[in-house]
Amino acid sequence: MAKLPAELRDPIRAARDAAGDKRTPEQKQLLKDHPSVNVSAGSLYLYDQKAADDLKKYADRAAGIRAKKPVEEFVRAITEVPGKVPATLLFHRGDPDQPKQALTPGDLSILARVCVGGVPEKDPSLPTTGRRLALARKLTNGTHPLTARVIVNRVWMHHFGRGIVATPGDFGFLGERPTHPELLDWLASDFMNPTNTPPYEGGKGAWRLKRLHKLIMTSTAYRQMSAERRTRNAESKAGASGAASLPVPSSALRASEIDPDNRLLWRMPLRRLEAESLRDSVLAVSGKLQVKMFGPPVPIKEDEVGQVVVGIDTTDSAGRPTGKEVSIGNEEFRRSLYVQVRRSKPLAVLETFDAPAMEPNCDARTASTVAPQSLLLMNNEFVLDHARFFAERVRREAGDDARAQVMRAWRLAFVREPTDTEIKATLELLAQQVELAKAQPQGDTKTKGSKNDASNHDPQLQALASLCQALLSANEFLYID
Amino acid sequence: MNPTALSQSTRRHFLATSAMGLGPLALAWLLERDNLLADEQGRPELEDRHFDLKPKAGHAEPRATAMISLFMQGGPSHIDLFDPKPEMARYDGGKFPGEIKYDNAAQASSKVFASPWKFQKHGQCGTEISELLPHLAEIVDDVCVVRSMQTGVNNHGQSIYALNSGSITAGRPTLGSWITYGLGSESQNLPAYVALTDPNSLPVVGVQNWSNGWLPSLFQGTVIRPREPRILNLDPPPQLGGARQESYLKYLDQLNREHLDRHPGELDLEARIASYELAARMQTAAKEALDLSGETAATKKLYGIDEAGTADYGTRCLIARRLVERGVRFVQIFTRNQFWDHHGNIRSSLPAACRYTDKPSAALVKDLKQRGLLDTTIVHWGGEMGRLPVIQNDAGPDKIGRDHNTHGFSVWLAGGGIRGGLAYGQTDDFGHKAVSDVVTHHDYHATLFHLFGLDPKRLVYRRNGREQSLIDNQPSRIVREIIDLS
Repeated sequence: MAKLPAELRDPIRAARDAAGDKRTPEQKQLLKDHPSVNVSAGSLYLYDQKAADDLKKYADRAAGIRAKKPVEEFVRAITEVPGKVPATLLFHRGDPDQPKQALTPGDLSILARVCVGGVPEKDPSLPTTGRRLALARKLTNGTHPLTARVIVNRVWMHHFGRGIVATPGDFGFLGERPTHPELLDWLASDFMNPTNTPPYEGGKGAWRLKRLHKLIMTSTAYRQMSAERRTRNAESKAGASGAASLPVPSSALRASEIDPDNRLLWRMPLRRLEAESLRDSVLAVSGKLQVKMFGPPVPIKEDEVGQVVVGIDTTDSAGRPTGKEVSIGNEEFRRSLYVQVRRSKPLAVLETFDAPAMEPNCDARTASTVAPQSLLLMNNEFVLDHARFFAERVRREAGDDARAQVMRAWRLAFVREPTDTEIKATLELLAQQVELAKAQPQGDTKTKGSKNDASNHDPQLQALASLCQALLSANEFLYID
Repeated sequence: MNPTALSQSTRRHFLATSAMGLGPLALAWLLERDNLLADEQGRPELEDRHFDLKPKAGHAEPRATAMISLFMQGGPSHIDLFDPKPEMARYDGGKFPGEIKYDNAAQASSKVFASPWKFQKHGQCGTEISELLPHLAEIVDDVCVVRSMQTGVNNHGQSIYALNSGSITAGRPTLGSWITYGLGSESQNLPAYVALTDPNSLPVVGVQNWSNGWLPSLFQGTVIRPREPRILNLDPPPQLGGARQESYLKYLDQLNREHLDRHPGELDLEARIASYELAARMQTAAKEALDLSGETAATKKLYGIDEAGTADYGTRCLIARRLVERGVRFVQIFTRNQFWDHHGNIRSSLPAACRYTDKPSAALVKDLKQRGLLDTTIVHWGGEMGRLPVIQNDAGPDKIGRDHNTHGFSVWLAGGGIRGGLAYGQTDDFGHKAVSDVVTHHDYHATLFHLFGLDPKRLVYRRNGREQSLIDNQPSRIVREIIDLS
């Protein structure tokens, strides 16, 4: 400042002290013409190297001290102010500016006659009102007609693709009627008061979800095959598979006519894997799955085209890419359950396969079949990377013999042996892919962002990866039958 | 017939139709679209269980071959936009003389709220349009405003289902599914039925809006993402493209067909096989269709893409035009969740919603017209309901709004055989209930089907032992008065 002509000092000082967005054009110009008055920590070294070095030393020390700060292990929770019973008002259409009458705690009024206990306004034995605890107790006291039915229905839905009540979030007038009301009642009752506790539960089994899963999954309904009965018969006549010829009751032929939606569960429904299970299955088959539990979530970021993938976001504060890649190690292979969920940034692999956006909450998912899913399985980097990992695993476990590789790949992806026809077709694919890979010019083959470039010079492995990709994108992998 | 004979004939039948119908994948995306079109064949009469998206002839000569529905979710206030009610001014602020059907009776008032916005006659036809829609006013001679829409059901979800799937319950196929089921698609390289969602949120009932219900999943709407990249994963890495991808896809197709042989009749498996074929072709076709760089600055300006307030919706309207131009059968653009649900603050939020949609919507009609596409493309603009003539949320002038009204509301239609320059139907003096020339959702569907050359009674899907249709034996009429007979 002292170097400047005296007449400029005041205006420049004023310009410097003005807030950035309040400066007049003249002030901006002044500052531009005289950058030396606006020294910042970043430009200090231009003027005084020693001071800049000092500053850096202090900054490093500050960073060192900050690094020692213990992690605050707080869990965010909301609680009431003790000793004060807050009034709960009905808000007109949810608008807090328009409070209406005060409400007392309670359950659905229609249930008043059938279930025991209420929710008191204030529990005298607790400093707070204790309403939530009271509600939880009421819901689980064994007389509430909805709790157990709703839970068992949801578990059932996740096993069969559809609940006994097809609208899991609405057991009321606008919901669907149960297809098997007696079964729902029995399951709910057995869930709360097990009639015969199986030995694997070691005694008590009330409200045990694992027991419920086992009960459902060992049922005859669940263990049915998904193919229609007449089909099995046709298969055996045609000699297409080894299935034994089963007697076909004349009624079975017409099951698909009588009940085309299979509401009565005359066969197991064919279901597509849900988004998370699909991603996890790919990880499991490729051999990369990390089963580590707990801890902070796996971070997500947008890749260069704006697709959300797992990884650490390295864009700067203005959202510009910095080109930095920070490895998260094996974290990227953890189950989908551990991947961070942000409504504005759904993981592309999951979103494409119908993981809900949770706006509002989703009680039953759809299972769509659309071309973007096929595109993902054909071209997405996650799928291609795991096809490669899968191929490396197969070669590691089965050696270099193509036939042994086919057997191993098949076993891992489909949990069965391939038929002779399938082996033949697959060996042909491998031979063809090897030729095509060999024909490709070297150097041109670097995958964008591929994590294992070594295999680019390995036509056999490339061919095997194409096979592995085909298995991972096949209906036999995507659907549970 | 004995069981074995039937199952074997089914199997043979499938193999025969699959050889011709679904076709081997071989280089499908390299084939010209015209070659594929020439390959047309009808669905087998005997057994209706295999489906494709090849173009099909309807029951009569069509006027329309495509539709773009601009779905204004939430319920735009018809009495402030399309349906002037000068009589109401006399009652403004006073008690409504009569009975109101509230959706939300506990919070209703009976205080009349006359529209604070002015209406004016426009065009040769002189249809009156609100000052909030200056761009619509410019195209009013091409537009038929239907002022007597009625679904008569409570609330958004039910009325959306009524308009989009013909019935107030969830789970039925949507309009786009029915039309693509009936007519297939002119494009074998792009999805037949596309939903363009809003970047902020999905409309009420979410993905159900483009659900195929119990029609085969081949006929469900495909969402094109609301932001770039609009379709992910269009490019294979260079070394995996070309011949290597063809070989991979051919093998995959074989795996999937053998799997389908073991699960005959699983329509979802068939649909996925078809979706791989489509995906292969989309790699080039979708990229071209969604690339707006070739559009002139004038076109982008027309759609408001150069202005922040209209850029998003305008871009989606322009994409809709490009899709229809390339043979996509049905496109639906959605505004965000409850965008038009003005229970409160209607004085500020209704004009804002109009600013967001008016210019691009009108631009779409203008642009289709100048390209000669309007003759065969139906454009629909409208929500699932209108609004009541009385105040809701009587908490000060800035805060007031209007409750739902499904008993009388307006939509506008243009193109594809719709008579332009017409205001059709009437509501009562307060715009509460449609009173003459009522158009129910069934009438609306019957009329659309008619324009597409489809007979709503004959376009059926056999299920649960009976033939199901969009209108499902409900009373309906083709609204011939809104059809251009010239």
